[in-house]
Amino acid sequence: MAAAPHARDLTGFLLRAFVGLVMLFLITPILVVIPSAFSDDVSVSFPPIGFSLKWFASAATTPGFLHGFGISAMVAAVATTISIVIGSLAAYALVRYRFPGRGLVELLLLTPLIVPSIVLAIALNMILGAMGLIGDISGLFVAHVILTLPYAVRVLAGSIRGIDVALEEASLVLGARPSQVGRLVILPMMAPGLLAASVFGFIMSFDEFTVSFFVAGPGVNTLPIALFNYVEINIDPTVSAVSTVLIILSVIAVAVIERTVGLARMLG
Amino acid sequence: MSAVAAQHASPRSAWRSRLNLGLLLLPASLVGLAMVCATVTMAWISTQSEGSQPTLEHYVRFFEDGYLIQAGIRTFHLSLMVSVICVLCGYPVAWYLVYSRSSYRYVAFIIVLSPLLVSIVVRALGWTILLGNEGVINQALQALGLTKGPVALMRSYWSVVAGMVHIFLPFMVLSIASTLGAIDPSLREAAALLGATPATSFRLVTLPLSLQGIAAGSVIVFCLSTGVFLTPLWLSRGHVSVLATVLKEQVVDASDWPAGATTAVLLTVSTLGLVALYNGLIRRFGEH
Repeated sequence: MAAAPHARDLTGFLLRAFVGLVMLFLITPILVVIPSAFSDDVSVSFPPIGFSLKWFASAATTPGFLHGFGISAMVAAVATTISIVIGSLAAYALVRYRFPGRGLVELLLLTPLIVPSIVLAIALNMILGAMGLIGDISGLFVAHVILTLPYAVRVLAGSIRGIDVALEEASLVLGARPSQVGRLVILPMMAPGLLAASVFGFIMSFDEFTVSFFVAGPGVNTLPIALFNYVEINIDPTVSAVSTVLIILSVIAVAVIERTVGLARMLG
Repeated sequence: MSAVAAQHASPRSAWRSRLNLGLLLLPASLVGLAMVCATVTMAWISTQSEGSQPTLEHYVRFFEDGYLIQAGIRTFHLSLMVSVICVLCGYPVAWYLVYSRSSYRYVAFIIVLSPLLVSIVVRALGWTILLGNEGVINQALQALGLTKGPVALMRSYWSVVAGMVHIFLPFMVLSIASTLGAIDPSLREAAALLGATPATSFRLVTLPLSLQGIAAGSVIVFCLSTGVFLTPLWLSRGHVSVLATVLKEQVVDASDWPAGATTAVLLTVSTLGLVALYNGLIRRFGEH
């Protein structure tokens, strides 16, 4: 009898040790970037040499980065807004209606999740290229709506599933018009899901690389592409400075989600 | 209640309800169709050549090119490796997130999510700082006197595996954790009461019930892995070519659209084919 609890302690210890190692693996490549941004030296290294803030100044004055930041933020905002609107309508239909072809519509909406992203990138490159939209910001809008829509539908469908149909029926019985039910009953109850889907979609679109790389062109490079192009020529702590700013923005986003809807809920 | 029932029954409102359904689904379906159109166009381009007749010559050329075949094998080898490592590392972490009562659980949850929220370019830079010739690991190895000069850690197959596991592990953990969390705890209690050791109860109760999460997680990770292009390009500095990096060479560097379209079609068909095969195996295994 004495051996059993002992064995259990050992398994528990091994489990915790293993999980600790995996956590180290997950967080180190992200955290190691931050100190290098404050280095006084031109090499991107850890530990940093000296201390200076000059790389942040360099990041702010490198034109590609500020422009890229603006493009990324605009594309993310527009694409997320469109996906949220379209996605709410589709999610409502998928949750509340039973109709022939429902499975097909669901499959169509979720395909971007199973088709390799590089293939989506190539396909969009070819069709937008044929339409002369490569290097045009509207090409990026289209691409990012396609990419964020599946996630929006998933999160929003979960949110609508949580609303009791009886509430909708009750408001209809009490004389509300369908548009009023939508505006006064369904929308307010979907608020946490809408917020979660917006933040998630925005981050996804802002960080997207593969598809943007094949759809963007000179003049409309997103921030990740501007960073990639910069690094292809020279690596110096300017990139670390930009990365540090991005990490800080992510931390703020996480804090906002956690305070408002909770992280666990955001992931559906 | 009766008003609602009556409304549903009348033919006019049934028609209106169908119209509503159509309007709700229309915009999203258009987006979906745009994607289908793009994919069909790509497939069509893969059959185009100098002549006016559709041709399969690009497919023949693909299978005759040793470099492309090797990149194809490497793509699926790499994706399979990444999926297996993600299951092996992700399962204990998901277990910890679901069952631990430690106060560190919340910290672990945030850390698991953190890679999802940080740009892929930032993470590639992080790996450069760790694995580069003057990187942290090489400094440590030399300080310990284990090696004389820098070891080429980047440019290797394993650096690409590490970078990809780092990107996709969160998807696996979340997928497994959601099925583990859904298992009724009374099942494990019942197993324990009936005399099962923790190991037996894990093998006969928890593992089979969480198989669905492993299956879903590995499909997601596998599909994402075959399509990733920045990580192999950056971490291997062109030394590990996979179909995604080949596609960049064909489409961006050489502007050879038919060849690129062919590679993309073959990548899609084989990825979806392997996923279908895997799902079939899981279903058969689940029946036993």
